[in-house]
Amino acid sequence: MVGLSCGENHFIQGGIAQDLRCDGRKRLAYRPISVETGVIPQANGSARVRMGATDVIASVKCRLNFESQACCNLIKEKSRYILTAVQLQSQLLRSHSIGFRGRGGDELAAELSIALQRCLLGGKSGTAVVLMLVFFFSGAGINLSSLIVVERKICWDLYIDGLVVSSDGNLLDALGAAIKAALSNTGIPRVQVAAETSNNEQPEVDVSDEEFLQFDTAGIPVIVTLTKVGRHYIVDATSEEESQLSSAVSISANRQGNICGMTKRGGVGLDPSIILDMISAAKHVSDQVINKLDSEIASAEAEEES
Amino acid sequence: MADKGGATPATYSPSPTTGRKKPPLLKEDWIRPDGRGFHQCRPALLDMHRFLSDSKCSRIDGALLIGGSAKRHLGPVSTRITSGVHGSVQPDIDFFRTGAVNAASGSAYAEIGNTKVIVSVFGPRESKKAMIYSDIGRLNCNVSFTTFATPVRGQGSDHKEYSTMLHKALEGAIILETFPKTTVDVFALVLESSGSHTSRCLGFGKRSQLEIMLCEALLLIDSMFLCNVPLQEVIASDNISECVSGDLPVVISCASLALADAGIMMYDLVASVSVSCFSKNLVIDPILEEENCQDGSLMITCMPSRYEITQLTVTGEWSTPKINEGMQLCLDACAKLAKIMRSCLKEAASDSQE
Repeated sequence: MVGLSCGENHFIQGGIAQDLRCDGRKRLAYRPISVETGVIPQANGSARVRMGATDVIASVKCRLNFESQACCNLIKEKSRYILTAVQLQSQLLRSHSIGFRGRGGDELAAELSIALQRCLLGGKSGTAVVLMLVFFFSGAGINLSSLIVVERKICWDLYIDGLVVSSDGNLLDALGAAIKAALSNTGIPRVQVAAETSNNEQPEVDVSDEEFLQFDTAGIPVIVTLTKVGRHYIVDATSEEESQLSSAVSISANRQGNICGMTKRGGVGLDPSIILDMISAAKHVSDQVINKLDSEIASAEAEEES
Repeated sequence: MADKGGATPATYSPSPTTGRKKPPLLKEDWIRPDGRGFHQCRPALLDMHRFLSDSKCSRIDGALLIGGSAKRHLGPVSTRITSGVHGSVQPDIDFFRTGAVNAASGSAYAEIGNTKVIVSVFGPRESKKAMIYSDIGRLNCNVSFTTFATPVRGQGSDHKEYSTMLHKALEGAIILETFPKTTVDVFALVLESSGSHTSRCLGFGKRSQLEIMLCEALLLIDSMFLCNVPLQEVIASDNISECVSGDLPVVISCASLALADAGIMMYDLVASVSVSCFSKNLVIDPILEEENCQDGSLMITCMPSRYEITQLTVTGEWSTPKINEGMQLCLDACAKLAKIMRSCLKEAASDSQE
């Protein structure tokens, strides 16, 4: 992956210009996506997504939050806090292209976290905690009110972690898909609250081990990264193709066709008309991806149960 | 646990000056807290002065002392007109100034609304971090907040991602091949913050007859602001008001001014604006209260002369036509901002020749 020769660069660019990429795909075709759910028993929800050689795992853990202030924030300002963190294996990054080498794993992880936060769940960011891998943000794709246990008193905190096991380009899309799968796999334990507690005391809670609430994840968007190589854009770039990128725009779109987040990477400037073009291409592609991903998730869950 | 916005701080901190009541966002007659129209940015005054060798101390604002350099207050290059409830017009001023820091190769100070940022550029110089040979230069960005920048002490250190975003915004504009093997360091210090990521944005939109009149007046009065979007078109659009909120756009614009001051070769000046969306309205240049209630935001960093966007971030849910309008408004605003920045640089250059 490091150091492609001039000839190889030309080959990749020429292939893209002729709608035939190195592995035979068209420009707007994804690699086969395979989804497994429930890979981490200790987590409330987890999923592993493979796109070609890119392999990522996402896990969701819940925790009861008794701080009334945070719960109040949820109701008043729509700002429930869901943490997302991305971890990258450090040796993985040594072999990345030159752009990453200088900045190291931490920066890439932070960038991915922000992009995920922005694209998947929308809203403003809050604090960054120590490791620079963890960010707070508010949810747009998830029905946040399902996280409330007792209004203004108790709610669930969701911690979403992503781990990149192997990277062959297009990390953001894979992580987005993994998080979507993990969230659909997540079961929040049902909580019984002892009635008749005064306002100042902490209510007694009984967290059940048996019953679980599932999220409705139909509203969660998928992330589509369009990489511009030369004059054309491709979807789901491998790391060789990513080394050729002049710029890349990651767009997350949901079922209704609305754009939930957008980030641009790469230094080269883009004409606004190109960006609008990319948005329409992304929406077109995202329809197919959402359907594919949903069916994959459904079959993975069915397999897991059986 | 992280300190969430709205949490009661443990120590006293001054409360924001605007009233506690949240503006009724969805009502038709919503007046913005500082009386601006939806499509009015806080005005930008670009004031250029060069560091001169005499030792007069002068102050820009309050406790800020930019040591040792004489300052000349030039007249405002452009002002934004704000409308009070009864249609009175009061100008509101921002600052841009270069040559603020003696030790740096180039520097700039920008003050837009309540956000005050000072950026210093060092380089091209040797860097210990870069061990490998590279035939293009390196750009190293760092954005930090002073501890007194935010109402709650230390809140600004939450925004560690600003350094990366500043880097991404600038790397497309700098011609890195002109300084191989060396590094350019950009250090941005936010002295006073007015939000999480605000940019100034100029645009025109219609909410009321009064605002149309004001916009037209602004068009006539201020020839610097050449609005590319015809007023009728914007009026017909579905209530787009952009909010410029936050510090990041100010930081980016100020940084590109500092780079120009340092003489680093760039393709074009980088101007940055952000927009917030409140259900059906887009508001330019939002202040902190407006930003807290927003549904989504769009920040654009672009090079206006080349009409290229170097960085674009969208949060929240947007439909394509709205993104379209938002982008158009931002681009217009960036074009105006770049004109102001350019005129500042020119004045500073002509000052130094005298």
